[in-house]
Amino acid sequence: MNCLEFRRQLSIDPQCGEVDFVHHARECARCAEACERANGFESSLRQALAIAPPPQLAESILLAQATQQQRQRQQYRRGGMLALAAAIVLAFGIGMRVEARPLSTQAVEHLREEAEVLTSTKLVSPGEVQQAFAKRGLALHSIPDGISFVGCCPMERHLTVHMVMPGGNGPVTVIYVVDDHERAREDFQRDGWHGRSIPMGQGTLVLLAQDASQFDHVESIWRAALQG
Amino acid sequence: MRRKFPDGVPVISPVSSKQRQFDALVRSLSGDLFRYGYWLCGDEALAHDLVQETFLRAWRALDSLRETGAAKAWLITILRREHARLYERKLPQFTDVDEIDVVDERDAHLPEFAGEENVIRNAMRKLDAKYRDPLLMQVLGGFSCEEIASELKITPAAVMTQLFRARQKLKTMLDGGDVRGAQIHELS
Repeated sequence: MNCLEFRRQLSIDPQCGEVDFVHHARECARCAEACERANGFESSLRQALAIAPPPQLAESILLAQATQQQRQRQQYRRGGMLALAAAIVLAFGIGMRVEARPLSTQAVEHLREEAEVLTSTKLVSPGEVQQAFAKRGLALHSIPDGISFVGCCPMERHLTVHMVMPGGNGPVTVIYVVDDHERAREDFQRDGWHGRSIPMGQGTLVLLAQDASQFDHVESIWRAALQG
Repeated sequence: MRRKFPDGVPVISPVSSKQRQFDALVRSLSGDLFRYGYWLCGDEALAHDLVQETFLRAWRALDSLRETGAAKAWLITILRREHARLYERKLPQFTDVDEIDVVDERDAHLPEFAGEENVIRNAMRKLDAKYRDPLLMQVLGGFSCEEIASELKITPAAVMTQLFRARQKLKTMLDGGDVRGAQIHELS
């Protein structure tokens, strides 16, 4: 590394720890001086940027989180009571047939609530996938590769395994609804998402993505995994 | 936290490990997030809201965080997205950075306007966002050039150029020069 390269690197990243950079600072007195000046500037910059956060910032965040959770729990509880009341009315009135919202609507809403998981790129281990299905009482015939998120999520009244598979044309969300077996497969579009629901095994596999071209491939992978 | 039943048998409190992880994240990183948020939006109250919303979203997606070392970068990414969403919803009424004077001679004697820190802060506010963003990500976020490039969707070479120019422009402003006409020298 020569002086010109050193000074350029110094302005890009004064904290650079590369061997050439450190070595040059030791060898060249003028560059060592420049490095000292740059570190002084960096220290002043860091100090100037260190705006003091409001007192009790952490506490206010934790309070907001606890309040939100409490509200959700109350909603679930209230929802549970209402569902119970509705079920009783329906049972007496029109029998035990309870109509739920379509899975496609529930899946898109669930995806919107957990949009952050679409950004995960690090792949989860096959063990984690297996564990999530085992938690739902299911054993897979094979464990598909290329899953960047897996979680056992409640989706309204359904139990699901929620996964994300990053693909060349964007991530595909895969939701296996364990306790609902749709009568027929369906391709749908909702709120800008392409979707497909497929009766598979004892449940229903729902796929969601911005681009539907990957659905056939993903469907075949999961058919092999769930049905062998 | 442990409780004891009368017979002395300790029981684990119902606080989940997820909640403990979240508490630790909030306590260790909310200050850093606030500083980054403040320099991103230029408003303390808004930065507070951004940080709070960031952590509430992080709570919902906490299962996807697998490496503790990646937590800060992960949270900053959520915060940046939250900030972008805010602009999608409505443009907040901020003072244009060009309207903020570095130091008004009339106020220079006041303590809040004095000192090197304020001069640097005002220079930072005057710095064009395309230079300020990568510099903040590097200095406050601890991101590498490659990580900044990935976050800003530009090439690592462009990030290096912007970081180089950001520091040169800051130094020029602090030396009392005009940033718009600043000459960028390779060796200074």
